[in-house]
Amino acid sequence: MKIRHIAIAGAMSLIGSAGWAACSFENTTTIKSLTAGFEAWKSVTDAMAECGNVEAELDQEFRTKQPAAFATNPSLYQIGGVSNGTVTPLLNEGTIRPLDDLVARYGANLKPNQLIKIDGQTMAVAMMVNTQHLMYRSDIFADLGLEVPSTYDEVLAAAEKIKEAGVVDYPLGGTMKSGWNLAQDFNNMFLGYGGGFVNEDKTPAVNSEAGVKALNMMKALSAYMDPEYLVSDSTYVQQQFQQGKIAMANLWASRAGAMDDAAESQVVGKVETAAAPLAMAGGTPATTLWWDGIVLAKNMSDEEADAAFRVAMEGLDTEMVTGANDQAIWLIEGYQPGRLATGAIATATASPAPLPYPSTTEMGLMHTALGNNLPDFFTGAKSAEEALAAVEAEYLTAAKEAGIVE
Amino acid sequence: MSTSRALRQSFALRAGSTGFLVIWCLIAAFPIVWIAVMSFKSPVDAFASNPIDVLLGPETRAQGKGLTLIDILLGLTLLWASIKMAMNWLPGKVEAFTPKDWLLIGWLVGAGAFALAFLVVFFGILPRVTGGLNALLGLEPIIGVSSEHYIAVWVENAFYRNFLNSLLVTTGVVTVSLTVGTLAGYGLARSGSNIAFWILIIALIFRALPHSVLVAGYLPVFINSAEILRPILGENAPTLYGQPLAVIAVLVSINQPFTIWMLRSFFQNIPAELDEAARVDGCTHFQAFRWVIMPVMWPGVITTGLFSFLLAYNDFLVTSLLLDAQNQTMVPAIAGYFNRETTTTDQVEAVAAAVSITAPLFLLVMIFQRQIVSGLTAGAVKG
Amino acid sequence: MKFKTFAAFVGPSIFLMLVFIAAPLISVFMQSFYLTQPVLQAVEVETCTPGFLTQTCTTEIKNQPILDEAGKVVTRTEFVGLQSYRNVLEPEAAWAAISSGRIGQLLTIDFWKALRFTLTFTLITLPLVIGLGLALALAVNNAAKAIRGQVIFITLLPFIITPVIGALSIRWLFIGDGILTAGLEWWLARDISMFAQGWTIELLMLFYRVWHVAPFAFVVFYAGLQTVNQDTLESAIIDGASRWERLRYVIIPHLMPLIIFISLIHLMDSYRVFEEIVGFSAQAHRISLQWLTYDLLTPDDSGNRSISRASASAMLTMIGIVILLIPLLRRTWADHKGAGH
Repeated sequence: MKIRHIAIAGAMSLIGSAGWAACSFENTTTIKSLTAGFEAWKSVTDAMAECGNVEAELDQEFRTKQPAAFATNPSLYQIGGVSNGTVTPLLNEGTIRPLDDLVARYGANLKPNQLIKIDGQTMAVAMMVNTQHLMYRSDIFADLGLEVPSTYDEVLAAAEKIKEAGVVDYPLGGTMKSGWNLAQDFNNMFLGYGGGFVNEDKTPAVNSEAGVKALNMMKALSAYMDPEYLVSDSTYVQQQFQQGKIAMANLWASRAGAMDDAAESQVVGKVETAAAPLAMAGGTPATTLWWDGIVLAKNMSDEEADAAFRVAMEGLDTEMVTGANDQAIWLIEGYQPGRLATGAIATATASPAPLPYPSTTEMGLMHTALGNNLPDFFTGAKSAEEALAAVEAEYLTAAKEAGIVE
Repeated sequence: MSTSRALRQSFALRAGSTGFLVIWCLIAAFPIVWIAVMSFKSPVDAFASNPIDVLLGPETRAQGKGLTLIDILLGLTLLWASIKMAMNWLPGKVEAFTPKDWLLIGWLVGAGAFALAFLVVFFGILPRVTGGLNALLGLEPIIGVSSEHYIAVWVENAFYRNFLNSLLVTTGVVTVSLTVGTLAGYGLARSGSNIAFWILIIALIFRALPHSVLVAGYLPVFINSAEILRPILGENAPTLYGQPLAVIAVLVSINQPFTIWMLRSFFQNIPAELDEAARVDGCTHFQAFRWVIMPVMWPGVITTGLFSFLLAYNDFLVTSLLLDAQNQTMVPAIAGYFNRETTTTDQVEAVAAAVSITAPLFLLVMIFQRQIVSGLTAGAVKG
Repeated sequence: MKFKTFAAFVGPSIFLMLVFIAAPLISVFMQSFYLTQPVLQAVEVETCTPGFLTQTCTTEIKNQPILDEAGKVVTRTEFVGLQSYRNVLEPEAAWAAISSGRIGQLLTIDFWKALRFTLTFTLITLPLVIGLGLALALAVNNAAKAIRGQVIFITLLPFIITPVIGALSIRWLFIGDGILTAGLEWWLARDISMFAQGWTIELLMLFYRVWHVAPFAFVVFYAGLQTVNQDTLESAIIDGASRWERLRYVIIPHLMPLIIFISLIHLMDSYRVFEEIVGFSAQAHRISLQWLTYDLLTPDDSGNRSISRASASAMLTMIGIVILLIPLLRRTWADHKGAGH
């Protein structure tokens, strides 16, 4: 026990002595944060820790822990990291506090774009946006004289040409791991075909023309992918890119930086990004917009909230962005979009613009039902209509349980 | 035992059984050896599809990190010598230097000291010696090897904190589990009542339960425990979530069914006349247990303790959900490298961390191997 | 032993098991018959979220839970009987599939798919683990004394290694162009994708489980071999029994209690197979009963979890394991009676 305490105290004092210079105030209240664990959060929480007395928890189980931990009184964490999906349970249960007065007092550097407003009240402060968009090997496209595709039909045509040329193992990569990833890929395509997930009365509406078209397009794309596409998540697609095995993929903007990482990548400087392709003419790009940001717990004293917000502002300042410019598409003042940010910005500013991922309870249920039932279509066990009917049936069971549908 | 003619084996049988063992040893060791090799390479080499590239690591060597012939030879010699020592020399020394009742502690101290000495010699002294020799002979590296991932894991990511947490949790689980388990095991072995039988059967059914069901039930209760316990304990009611002690209690309970079954069969093989004689001399059951049974029960306790150790050390489901970052143990920390946003470097670092946490298990089996076999032979599962 | 003394000895152990195993189990049992829902109200909400430069605002009708004065969500709990079990088992769809003779259709329903895999997994690995464990024990017992230590050490490695890491290490050898897949492709001169279809993943999972558990069976059997009565063996030799007959009539009967012990442990452990599904990302093709429960319990992005269905699925898993264990439990009961207390 003793050794452990000394070790931790040592580590803490190291953090402490290196800190404070970079933080505009000395924090004396203990502040704990619970966030996801990717690089951007690491930079943000490191910057927060410079103020002292900050314990950051970057946890892959945060989705499970956050709602329960914020519901206790006093809350186990003061600061939470959320995205437009994970903020829903906190909003529903009323465990996070409005931030308007704190923003007025300490948020002079925030842009209006960063404030997430629910019925006019600021409930969260966004720090970055993320989206899935097209990445492609510019060298292969130049060699074969291909145009950068702007629709999925063009993607298929380009994939066919690349396949004939035989320059890579597989023309396409896809984040189609069964479960969350596959469902998200469907969401992108479905919205691209103008689909809507639920009707007014919250009954499901995915077994529609748009749903079938989306599945058929995904199936057509999968013919150009590694046959193991049902286990490939974004890390796997990123590796395939880095090892020069694929030429195109619809991949997360936050993954783009890894293409130019000389320690891992064999294709440094050869990957470019472009807007997410359209599924149909005149539609929105077939993708969704995501944001990540911070929220503050409701169950804590106003003094703690004050300190927590000031610490959070230190984590989201220009200094942090300058040190971590290429880790994300930051919304914070001082961000300089690099070469690889082109695609994300083109996607987000497209007209008509892609929809933000809908943060509703129904969407959570629908996402799970899609992730569980769509694999049957891709393994050939069910037709598109049968698979979508199974999705609707599972959604209805879950929605009845949750009390959303009578 | 004299080898009679009939016991002597034909050549075909001997060759067959040796061949079988060789193939099995290859299958058993290969995946583990392979991840160990991967952990010393740059990410490009580690995930190369040509095995020769993974072994020789051209990219890693190109970065100027590698081993010369002398490094390899000296390293292997030292490794071999340490394995020999751990298996042959250490057990004797430990038994010679510790009093009988303290054998378990003696083993832990002995194993710890040995591991520390090995680390100092292998990573502290050896590189200096070979570095000098290489400079003297002007040797160039022939195999690309880099310890950067280990440094990243242990120094930059402060993995030693997870190591200390694991140490705390495992020590706690083994100690509590054995204390509670030996008492129960002894009670069950010496009572032939129907109650004892039904307790055992129910314990067996408990052992069959899927853990995810239990664990998901703990989380809300643990997080809200301060509110739930406030009426009983007042303002001092603790939040159990994130507390290593609470996790120890959970792991001990989950492992209790196996522990009591195992220890019960050990005690059944200790003749009941032994403690009955002590009772005739006027001892209570507890005194008989303390003075007559405890001195002879060590083989069984060490074997059962090893199984408890493995369970606590390897647990993922319970520790990942019920501990916070400050108290996180090693296995969930490694899984943390594989979350939604990882890079190839993260993955190789995870491999390095995985190899690091396997090392103590290696040492443990090397040292306790004979105890496992002799402990099981002494009767664990005869009943 | 007096009951009071007995209670004092087993008390702490029983207490721990009651608090941490029996209590959650009872609550799971109860929850499988009840349904707890938040009381919802439909509210029109305007949400503004960031784009890269400007915000997008959407107005929609959302179902939000009502909060009470203390700020907690108002919930209502109702007794639903076997509804959750029906939701898991989907008897209508299952019956339709069976009566039309389309077994393939039955196996697209989650529970039945999981049950099929769990049962085959358990029943195929059982004889393999026992056979391999026994073969290893005999071979090591036959080997020269000098190398036994090393062989036992290597043999135990797959058993002691952290399961998550063991599964990953095998996965890396085969996924994509992992070196063993690459080796197979070179040898068979054709393209192989181990993770593209169900049966190859199932094969890998079976292999991993046998690789991981056989050493445990081995070490138990090996310990058992050390206690074989040498006199019986010698007299069998004098009677002219062949090596096979000695194995069949002396050694196996001696090891029988151990074989039953290993079977018991193995049945319980492999019936709750879980790590393999996650480690090999088999969800698209193969799922197991414990994975199904786990998946129902894992909250999605919006924080929903299907507690009732998960409880029902957990109870069904329990019933399954008790059925599998009955033959072995009956034997234990007979032993207990036979012990003559």
